[in-house]
Amino acid sequence: MLPIAQSELTQIFRNRTVLITSFLVPVAVSAFFIYQHELFASIGSLGYIAAIVMFTVTVFGLYSTTVTTLVDRRQTLFLKRLRSTAASDPGILSGLVLPATVIALVQVTLILVVLGVVTGGPENVALLAVAVASTIALMIGLGLATAGLTRTPDHAQVTALPVSLGVIAVASWVGITGTESLTLLKRLLPGGAATELVVGAWDGGLSLGGSLALLAPTAAWLVVAVALAARLFRWEPRS
Amino acid sequence: MTSTHVIDVERLHVSYGTFEAVSDLSLQVRRGELYALLGTNGAGKTSTLEVVEGHRPATSGTVRVLGERPDDRRAVRPRTGIMLQESGFANDLTARESVRLVGRLSGRTDSVDRVLDVVGLGRKADVTVSQLSGGEKRRLDFATAVFGSPELVFLDEPTTGLDIQSRDALWDAVDRLREDGSTVVLTTHYLEEAQQHADRIGLMHRGTLRQEGTVAELTRTLPAVITFGLPASAPPLPLEASSTGERTVVETFALQQDLHTLLAWAHDHRLELADLDAGPTRLDDVFRALDAD
Repeated sequence: MLPIAQSELTQIFRNRTVLITSFLVPVAVSAFFIYQHELFASIGSLGYIAAIVMFTVTVFGLYSTTVTTLVDRRQTLFLKRLRSTAASDPGILSGLVLPATVIALVQVTLILVVLGVVTGGPENVALLAVAVASTIALMIGLGLATAGLTRTPDHAQVTALPVSLGVIAVASWVGITGTESLTLLKRLLPGGAATELVVGAWDGGLSLGGSLALLAPTAAWLVVAVALAARLFRWEPRS
Repeated sequence: MTSTHVIDVERLHVSYGTFEAVSDLSLQVRRGELYALLGTNGAGKTSTLEVVEGHRPATSGTVRVLGERPDDRRAVRPRTGIMLQESGFANDLTARESVRLVGRLSGRTDSVDRVLDVVGLGRKADVTVSQLSGGEKRRLDFATAVFGSPELVFLDEPTTGLDIQSRDALWDAVDRLREDGSTVVLTTHYLEEAQQHADRIGLMHRGTLRQEGTVAELTRTLPAVITFGLPASAPPLPLEASSTGERTVVETFALQQDLHTLLAWAHDHRLELADLDAGPTRLDDVFRALDAD
């Protein structure tokens, strides 16, 4: 896994387009939210800002990069080459997504730390960490599933859109309007429960039982995504 | 499977939906030999090779590579090098980084620079794959396959896109591998390469293995051909012959003897055998006969 991860990291830093669109732009967007935190806090809450910056980084950084990377490696037969070695399939996939995952985790952590310094820290850091970790896992799972549906790297711009825009839209909807109304729908949509968890962890007011209940929909989506990925993922281009 | 066989395929079937690409194929590759798997387009060579390499499951039949299931990567791949038909490298990595990556994942040890020198890419070690020519990428492919001198090497059309010097260098490297005891499985469209380098050849057509053996064994199955022109007034020939336009054709399994008979007859009758052409059966002829089947 580690040699593959090292080669992926090298490729990320040599590909200016990936570096800018997948890593610098989400950070810049997040910086804007923090800069305008009083405005966005009045629309939702400080927890809403935390949720939006988390999803901005994990959707446009981690999820999109995962889809594009896996599809590109498949199209260039790089996946086939890796499978010609002694590396296992889980090891190959882990190595390919590890750098983007670590970068996303570092970005989210730094951005939330800056947000905390600027606005005052979250009420429950541990719960926030769990929310971030579960969201990252979900984005990786969705990335694997989407890669299975995607024929070419250009096609990824289309196939990744529903999840990208959908998750951001759900996060905004839940973060701004809360879950007093349409509770079940908001929690069951992908990203909805995770948003509520982040908002609750930052703003406070979540019980332990409530927190655990909010992890369940995210875990369920992760299971669905992994099941879809197992069924759809291809290691070689369709002949 | 005996220890003299590094590859043992028994009654292999490979199907894609209702289409049967490989049908009831059995073959064995002996330790230390260079076995060339040849065939017409769509014969099933690639499907067979992909099953043996562990890239594709068999529909039915048993396949053992070095005594193991070919899809048991942990057991097989450290002992196996694979040169794919098409290069599959990351464009943003350099030649050195590509060989180092595949080398580290292969489970074998070797010097990256040594391997790059063997394939003539020493001066381009720090050039990214995107900047290499098609032939250079093939050589890089070969480098990753022979990294660590594996026991078994698969070469899938290794010289496609290579110039003559690169081809010679590649075959020199293959010879050195074989001197070290490696077994090589080759697929190629260049029949002269198979004829020159293979110990045994398997000929596939429409999903089955039609013929197998040394070049001599395969070419013995077809007669040699003697062709020449004769005036219309020439007396009857001492051998059975047929005509193709203005050319007389004699098919023979005793080339030297029959050629001597013809030359003696022509001398006795003071006749010239115009544009006389005679030669042993070549692999091309065996191949054409297969395709005509």
